[in-house]
Amino acid sequence: MNRRDAAMQKVLRVSSALIIVGLLAEVASLLWFHPLAFVLFVFIGASLLGLGMLLYLLSLVFVVSASGENRRGPAE
Amino acid sequence: MTGQTDILIVLIAVTAVLATMFLIRPNMTAGATGKILAFVGLFVLPALCVAGGISVHTQRSEETQFCISCHSMEPFGRSLYVDDPKYIPAIHFQDHRVPAGQACFACHADYSLFGPLRDKLRGVTRIYMQYVSRPPNPIRIPGGYNNDQCLYCHAGARNFIENPIHSAIMDTLTSNQLSCVSSGCHDLIHNVSELDHLKFWKPER
Repeated sequence: MNRRDAAMQKVLRVSSALIIVGLLAEVASLLWFHPLAFVLFVFIGASLLGLGMLLYLLSLVFVVSASGENRRGPAE
Repeated sequence: MTGQTDILIVLIAVTAVLATMFLIRPNMTAGATGKILAFVGLFVLPALCVAGGISVHTQRSEETQFCISCHSMEPFGRSLYVDDPKYIPAIHFQDHRVPAGQACFACHADYSLFGPLRDKLRGVTRIYMQYVSRPPNPIRIPGGYNNDQCLYCHAGARNFIENPIHSAIMDTLTSNQLSCVSSGCHDLIHNVSELDHLKFWKPER
């Protein structure tokens, strides 16, 4: 495994972790019938989920740009 | 819990399982199947979870129990049980002129195009007042009660338009120049400061 793959896997791990924590916050907000549950969902749950998804999408862009650079080769 | 909440919980569980798989073994994404699974588990399903969460929380925030779960709203919830038909919110709630489970929402929602969004933003500022700053005392609606909220149901209703007082001042009512809850009209509303001296209706279970 090269350094780029290792970095990619690290990004995927962080993205997965953010999504899991976001989901836990969402479950807690669904089980808690209180006005603050809405705040918990919006400001913590949805934010972490959004961040996790964004990180995953960025990792896709990173993979595509990296493979593009590899195809062009060192002569360019 | 509603059926929608149950579906959302299942969706969250599936998403959590997939996300845990990618947390433990991120090299699963090396193959084409793994890549598709990662797209579903780390983007499609979480996006659905966010959308489902917004929908469930929006519906929940329209429930009477949700509104009166704030400490400062408790007396307003009590006022719905005043045993006097002259009290407008109480009679609407007790006679089911509005859905009892959404009594606050039915009379206080902004029914304009961007009303639901404005309502949610106002709701967040009220949560801020309740938990960070301090709720105003007495609690009043900024800008006063809008007649559109009464007319949303009453406009066009026979007993409303055939009432000679209403028909004589219809223009001032529809243009919001004269409030429906003005003194001398339907002025007995929540009146929370008087609750200790009033009789309450106890619904039979």
